[in-house]
Amino acid sequence: MLAFIMRRLGILSVILFGSSFILYNMAAISGDPLADLKLSTDPNRDFLVASLTRELQLDVPPPARYFLWLKGIFGIFIGKPDFGMSRDGSTVAHSLALAIPVTIRLVLAATIFAIVLGIAIGIVTALRQYSRFDYSMTFVSFLMFSLPIFWVAVLLKEYLAISFNNFLREPNVPIGWIIGLAIFSGVFWASVIGGSRKTFWTAFGAAAGIAATIVSVFSLSGWFLNPGLGPIIITGMSVGIAYGVTQLSVGLINKAALKASLTMAGLSLVAYYPAQWVFDKHPGSLSVFIMACVTITIAVFVGLSFSKIDRAPIVRTTIITAVLSAGLVVVDKFMQTWKPYMETDAINYRPVPTIGQRSDLLDSPDYWIKSLDIATHLFLPTVALTLISFAGYIRYSRGTLLEVLNQDYIRTARAKGLTERTVIMRHAFRNTMIPLTTIMVVDFAGVIGGALITESVFGWSGMGTLFRQGLLGYDLNLLMGVFFITASLSVIANLVADLLYSALDPRIRVGGGA
Amino acid sequence: MKLNRSAKYAFAVAAAAALTVSLLTPAQAATRSTVILHETNPITGLNCGLSATNSTTCSAVSYIQGAGFNYYNNKKELVKNTVFGSYKITKKSATDFRVQYTVNPGRVWSDGTPIDAVDLLLSHVLSSDAYSIAAGLGDPKSKTAKPAFNGLGYSGVYSDNIVGEPVLSADKMSVTLQYKKPIANWDIYGPGPSPVHTLVLMAEGKTSLQSVSANQDAKDRFLAAYKSKDTALLKKIGKIWSEDYTITTVDSKTNPLLLVGNGGFILESAVAKTSVTLVKNPKYNSGPAMSGTVDKVVFKFIGDGTAAAQALANGELDVYAGQATADGVAALKKISSVNVVGTDQVAYEHWDLHYDTVVDEAPYTGLFSVKDGAKSKALRQAFLLALPRNEIMAKLIAPINGVTTPIASTWVAPGSAMYDKVTASNGSSFYSRGTQETRNASALALVQKFYPNALKSPLKVRVLVPGNNPRRASEFALAKANMAKVGFDLVGDVRTDWPSKLGNSDYDAYFFAWVASSVTQRQSAEVFDTNGGNNIIGYSNPAVDAIIATLDAPMSDALLAAKYIQIERLTNADAITTGVFIHPGVVAVNKDLKNVKPGPLSPQMVWNYWEWTY
Repeated sequence: MLAFIMRRLGILSVILFGSSFILYNMAAISGDPLADLKLSTDPNRDFLVASLTRELQLDVPPPARYFLWLKGIFGIFIGKPDFGMSRDGSTVAHSLALAIPVTIRLVLAATIFAIVLGIAIGIVTALRQYSRFDYSMTFVSFLMFSLPIFWVAVLLKEYLAISFNNFLREPNVPIGWIIGLAIFSGVFWASVIGGSRKTFWTAFGAAAGIAATIVSVFSLSGWFLNPGLGPIIITGMSVGIAYGVTQLSVGLINKAALKASLTMAGLSLVAYYPAQWVFDKHPGSLSVFIMACVTITIAVFVGLSFSKIDRAPIVRTTIITAVLSAGLVVVDKFMQTWKPYMETDAINYRPVPTIGQRSDLLDSPDYWIKSLDIATHLFLPTVALTLISFAGYIRYSRGTLLEVLNQDYIRTARAKGLTERTVIMRHAFRNTMIPLTTIMVVDFAGVIGGALITESVFGWSGMGTLFRQGLLGYDLNLLMGVFFITASLSVIANLVADLLYSALDPRIRVGGGA
Repeated sequence: MKLNRSAKYAFAVAAAAALTVSLLTPAQAATRSTVILHETNPITGLNCGLSATNSTTCSAVSYIQGAGFNYYNNKKELVKNTVFGSYKITKKSATDFRVQYTVNPGRVWSDGTPIDAVDLLLSHVLSSDAYSIAAGLGDPKSKTAKPAFNGLGYSGVYSDNIVGEPVLSADKMSVTLQYKKPIANWDIYGPGPSPVHTLVLMAEGKTSLQSVSANQDAKDRFLAAYKSKDTALLKKIGKIWSEDYTITTVDSKTNPLLLVGNGGFILESAVAKTSVTLVKNPKYNSGPAMSGTVDKVVFKFIGDGTAAAQALANGELDVYAGQATADGVAALKKISSVNVVGTDQVAYEHWDLHYDTVVDEAPYTGLFSVKDGAKSKALRQAFLLALPRNEIMAKLIAPINGVTTPIASTWVAPGSAMYDKVTASNGSSFYSRGTQETRNASALALVQKFYPNALKSPLKVRVLVPGNNPRRASEFALAKANMAKVGFDLVGDVRTDWPSKLGNSDYDAYFFAWVASSVTQRQSAEVFDTNGGNNIIGYSNPAVDAIIATLDAPMSDALLAAKYIQIERLTNADAITTGVFIHPGVVAVNKDLKNVKPGPLSPQMVWNYWEWTY
C-alpha cells in the first residue's frame, strides 16, 4: 500500500514538472508583455520598456526563467514556498489565498446540488426505464449538457433576475402562467409516479390542482413580497419529511423509526419559537452551529430511546429527519428576512442580483440580512452551474443502476422475498455509488480549478479569474501559481479516488504485489 | 412516493396559512445618493505611479480622491483648477524658462493638515533622474536594480529639461521650476500635491492618523530630508510609496494614513477585484464645490460586457462604460431606464505603408519601398486612394455612433476648431475627393502605369492583421474586397502578437491604432520623426524633421496649426499613412443621474464628479 502511494506520488511529481515546464514556455512565447507599451506615444516609452523588462526578467529566455520560478516552488520542502510576485504588485500566494475561498463558495453548493439532484433523478429514471419520464429527463439532461454556460447565464439573468425583479413591483402572477405551471407540475409528478392510465390522470389532476392553488394563493396574498412558512406549515412539512425519510431509509414497516422521526418532526414545532428567539437575540454562525449540534444530539437520544434492536439505521433516520426539519426553520427565518432585506436602500425592491458576491451598498449590521444577501448573490450562479453539470450525474447513475439491477445478486435478493425498497436502497443503490465516487472526487478537485467562464459572467473573482488574468496579462507567475494548485489537486484527487475505490469495493486491492 | 404527496399536502396547508398572512404594501423608495460606476479592469493598487498599478481605473479613483492644478475635461481641454492654486510663467528666454506654482492658502488634506508647496516637492523626486541618482536612490535607467521610488515618471520631458531643483518660496506656498528652454505643454508636466507627511509618518511606523501639529512636524522632516538628500529616510519613504500602496482590500484594519487625500471623495472600503467605495470628504476644499446630491461613489469591476449591461438593466449599476460594438449599443438602447451616450476614445485607427528599413529590422525591399522612387510612390498613392474608408465608416462605425466621415488628419482630432482648419489644407483631400469609384479609377490608372497587367495578375500586398479583434477582421475584409478592383491582392497575416511585429520587413502595410494619453503639441511627432520611437515604417523626410524639431517650444494655436498643415502636406504627398476612425466608446447612464459627461482622456467619466446629481 505504502509502496503504491509512494510510486504514485513519484509519477505525480514527474507529471507536474513536465506539464508546468511546457505550460510556462508556451505561455511565455504566446504573447508579448511589452505589446501595450509598443503602441504608446508616451515620451518616456523607452524607460517604461526597460523598467518592465527589469521587473519581469524578460532578458532571461523562458526555459531558463522557468527554473527561476521553480526555485521558489521548491521552497515547499523547507516550508516556505515562494510563488513569486504577480504583475499587479501583490504576491501570487496572497492572490491565491483570496481567490480559493471565493471559488469554493461559488462552485461548492452547485456541485453538491448537481450530485444530489443528478443521482436522485438518475435513479428515478432508471427505475422508470423507457417511461415518458425517462425519455423527457434524458432529453432535458442532454439539452442542459450541451448548453454553453454563458448563454444559460444570460437567459437566467434576463428571466430570473431582471424580469423577476420587475415582476416584484406588482407581484400578481398572470392567469396564463398559473395554467402553464399547473400543467407542467401535473405532467412532471404524474410521470414520476407512473402507473396505469387512471393513476396517471389522477396524479396529473392532483398535482396540477395543487400547483395552481399554491401559485394563486401566493399571488393573491402577496407572498412573494413577504414570504414565510410559519410553525403550522413547518410541522406539516416535517411530518411529510419524517414519512419520506423513514420510507427511503428503513421502510415504513419499521414502526420504531417512524415514531422517532415523527417525534423529531413534532419537536420542530416545539422548538420553533425558542429558535426564533435565538435567531433574533443571538444572531451569528456560531449560534446556528450550536443549534445544529443540539438538534443532532436530541435526534440521537430520541432515536436511541425508541429503538430496541437495529439502533444505527433508526438513529440515522432520526438525524436526517431532524436536520431537514430544522433546515425548514432556518429557511423560514430567511423568508422572514426577505421583506426587511428588500426594503433596504441598497436593494430597493430588486432583490435578485445578476452580478457580484455581495451588495456593495448594503451596510446593515443584521446577520440574517447579510446572509440573505450572500444567498441571493449565489442564487443565479448556482442555478446555472447546477443546470449544466447535473446532466452528467443523471446519465452516470442511471446507467450504473441499470447495470447493477441486472446483476445476479439483485435477482437473488428479489427471490429471497425482500421488499422492493430493500432491494433498491440497500442492494442496488449502494453498489451504484462505487463508480460514482470516483467521478465525485475528481469533480470536487475540479471545484478549486474554478469555473472560468461562470466567474467572468457573474463577476466573481476566483481562481478562474486569476487564470484569465495570468493568461491575458502575460503574468507568468500568477498563471503558474493557479496551474500549480489546480494541477496538484487534480492529480492528488485521482490518487484519492483510487484509494477510495479500493476501500469501498472489497474486490479491488491496491498494491499488494500488483 | 409518500414524500411527494406529503410535500404536496404540506404545500397546500402552507398556502392556506399564507393566505391568512396580511398583504403588505411596499414602502416608498428612498432618494438615491449613490453612484455605482462600471470599470472593466479591477484596481490593483492605490498609487497609479507604479507600473504594477497603473490603469485607467486607478487614474479615475485617484482623480476623485485628489485634486491638482488642472484636469482634462470632456473636450480634451486642460482646465485650470483655480480653487486649488495657480501657475504662471515667471521668466522666458531661450535658455531659461521658469514657471511658478502657487497653492491657495487654506486648502487642507482630508486629515485637516494644511496643503502647502512642500507637498509639491515629491513630484520632483518621482520625475527627476538626476535627483534620484544624487540622493542615492538609484539610477532609474539601471537594468539590474530598481530605484527607491520604483515609479513610471522618470526619464520624461520633465527630467530631460529641468534645471536644478524646484525653489520653495519663503512662505512655503509656491515653488518655482526652472527648465533649460521653453517647453511646449509645460503645464501638464508640472507638480501635483502628495500628502508627504503621511509618507514620513508611515516610514516611521505610524499606523493611525496624527494631530495636525504632529503632521506639520512630519512635513518639516520631509522637507529637511529632501533638501539634505537624506538617503536613509528617503529610501524608507520610497519603500512605502512603492510597496504599501499596492493594496486592493481596504477595511477598518487598513492604515488610514494610506487614504489621506484632498479630493471630493475619500476611500472608505475596497473589496479585492470586486469594488471600491468612496464617501464624501467633509474637509474638501481643493476643487470646484460639490453641487450635486451624490454622497457615495462605488466603482464596480466587471470584465464581461454583456454581464455589465445586464447589471445596468437590473439597476445594479448607474453608469456603464465599454468598448462599443454595434450589437452591444443596440442592446443598451433597449434598456428603458438608461441614456446611451456615444463617446470618442483616445485611440485612432489608421493604415500605414512601409516606407523604408526600420532600425533593428531586415532591409525592407517590398512593394512600397522608397528606394523604388516614383513607382513605389504611385503604388502607395493608389493603395491609400483605394482604401474604402467611407465604406468602413458606414459599415463598422456608423451603427455605433453615427459618424460616417473618416478622419482627415492624424495630428488633430475632429471636434476642435483646429481640426477644420488643418484638414482644409493639409493635402488630405487628395485621398477623399470624389466617390470611391472615381478614386478606384485613379488608383487603377496609377497601378497600371507600372503594372499594365495588374488586374489579371494582382500585386501581392502583405498586411499585418491584428488578431482577436472582430472589427479589424471586418475592416481587413472590406479593404481586401475593394483593393482587388485596383489590382492589389491583400494577403493578411493574422497575429495576436502583432504589436511586436510592427516595423517588421515582412509586411508592406499595417493597420492599428495609436493611443495618445495626453494632448501635446508634439502629438504624432514620434510617428513621423526620423528617429521617432513610434516610426515603424522607416519614414524619413528632413523637411518634416525640421518642422517637428520646432514643436518643442510653446506657440500660438494659429502657428501650431500652420506647422501641422506643413507636416501633413509633406506626409500626404509621400503617401505613407491615412487615418480612418476615432475608436468609438459607449457610456450608458441611469436616466435619473444628471451631468455625467464622459471624456476621452483620463480621468474619462469622472472628470466633473462634483456636478453629478440625482
